[in-house]
Amino acid sequence: MIEKLRFFLKVTGNNLWQFRTRNLFSVTIICLSFLTVGIFLSLSNNLRATARELSSNMSVAFYLDKNLTATAVDAIRQEISRPAFVESVKLVTPDEALQRFRTSFPELADVVAGLKGNPFPASLELRVNAKASASKEVVAFVEGMKKRPGVTDVLFNQDWVEKMQGFSRLAGAIGAFLGGILILTSFFIISNVVKLNVFARENEIEILRLVGGTNLFIRIPFWLEGISLGLLGSLLSLGLLFVVINLFPVYLGTSLGALQELLRFRYPDLTQAAALLGGGAATGFIGSATSVSKFLKA
Amino acid sequence: MIELFHIWKQYQKPYWALSDVSLQISDGDFYFVTGPSGSGKTTLLRTIFREILPTEGQILINGVNILKIHDNRIYTLRRTMGIVFQDFRLMFHRTVFDNVAVPLQVVGAGRKEIRRRVFSTLQKVNLHQKMWELPSRLSYGEQQRVAIARAVVNNPEIILADEPTGNLDPELAFEIITLFKEINKQGATVIIGSHDRELIRHFGDNILFLQKGKIVGREARA
Repeated sequence: MIEKLRFFLKVTGNNLWQFRTRNLFSVTIICLSFLTVGIFLSLSNNLRATARELSSNMSVAFYLDKNLTATAVDAIRQEISRPAFVESVKLVTPDEALQRFRTSFPELADVVAGLKGNPFPASLELRVNAKASASKEVVAFVEGMKKRPGVTDVLFNQDWVEKMQGFSRLAGAIGAFLGGILILTSFFIISNVVKLNVFARENEIEILRLVGGTNLFIRIPFWLEGISLGLLGSLLSLGLLFVVINLFPVYLGTSLGALQELLRFRYPDLTQAAALLGGGAATGFIGSATSVSKFLKA
Repeated sequence: MIELFHIWKQYQKPYWALSDVSLQISDGDFYFVTGPSGSGKTTLLRTIFREILPTEGQILINGVNILKIHDNRIYTLRRTMGIVFQDFRLMFHRTVFDNVAVPLQVVGAGRKEIRRRVFSTLQKVNLHQKMWELPSRLSYGEQQRVAIARAVVNNPEIILADEPTGNLDPELAFEIITLFKEINKQGATVIIGSHDRELIRHFGDNILFLQKGKIVGREARA
């Protein structure tokens, strides 16, 4: 068994080297295909992570009428605290709001100093627990509270969470679509490269048959060849992805401002990297298996 | 035992490469099949090897009808045989060692055993000093000896050789047939297609004469 394995590996290695130009061509195509998938995957990873971050920090600010009495504010607070998805409710007084503004926008200190009174209303800040974030229940509750007397305005970042999730899905879909087409192309290229290799070794295949080689014995080196090409291509694509992820921010600089956060790449996790490698191997195997089976009798 | 019953083979109408050939070859026989070019020697050997199928007739080897063996199982028959083709059929980008080792590799022989048997077989055909050469760098006669070594390396029960001495000088041809004879003495059935009268006269225990696909004579020297 070990001897057979050694034989298969030797034959595979010889064949890879003997037809190195065309094999290099197929490795390059596989590499570029999987790089495309990888780039969209890491972009999608970033968008998904941003959406997750936003939804875990999701808060709703209810701005209150300036003329409300303390009892009325308390009543609203109790009403807001009631739903199960509420993690905490905090009252932000007009003075605290002014202080926050000063801290957040120090460059506008002159404007604030020139004010005669405090223009900021009191507000109730509600933090939603992570499980319920962006759920329909929260949205319905917020919509209801908008109409409640005493509440003048509501600030809710749910739209952003949904947008991020949408972008993430879009990036994933584009990656799957483009990658799918390119992987299909790789599959046909591997299939044809292996077919050419089979053609070139027709004599050898015939000899193996004549000395008592089984179909499986003849096929295995071709399968290994396809798997090696696929694995090598996807492994190279992971390496290139690493380079792209590191170089792309340097290339972009800081010119895109806030958009830069969205265009950041996140490394594929271990499962995703293993899936890319497995995908490469599978593409290579299927490509070679289909072409070899066409050539060799059952 | 190899038994051929009324074998007919037609490649192209109206010519018959083999016409009603019936034959029995016992285990351990040493056979020469002879006749002029185009007499059907090669077709007969390739039919026994089941490389080609006859148009009609039956072939039994040790009681098994080899024409009924499924393509998927044909390797079981081939592993009991060694064949030397007229055109050698060598793998020209593999070394002499690799070429000779192939029949052992397909049956999963161990590394040491492969080395030992390949080396001793190459010694017998006087090629052991060239075992790491590519066949393309060998002379015609040497390539022929590689093909012979490949055919005998796994001690097959039946050896078929189509003009195995066709490109060798008389001295080497004599040595090669002596080698076949030695293998035959160890129990293998050997069938050689040849038109070398000198060799046939010297070694031929059993001689089958073919002409235009028909058996036109038999000779047995006990």
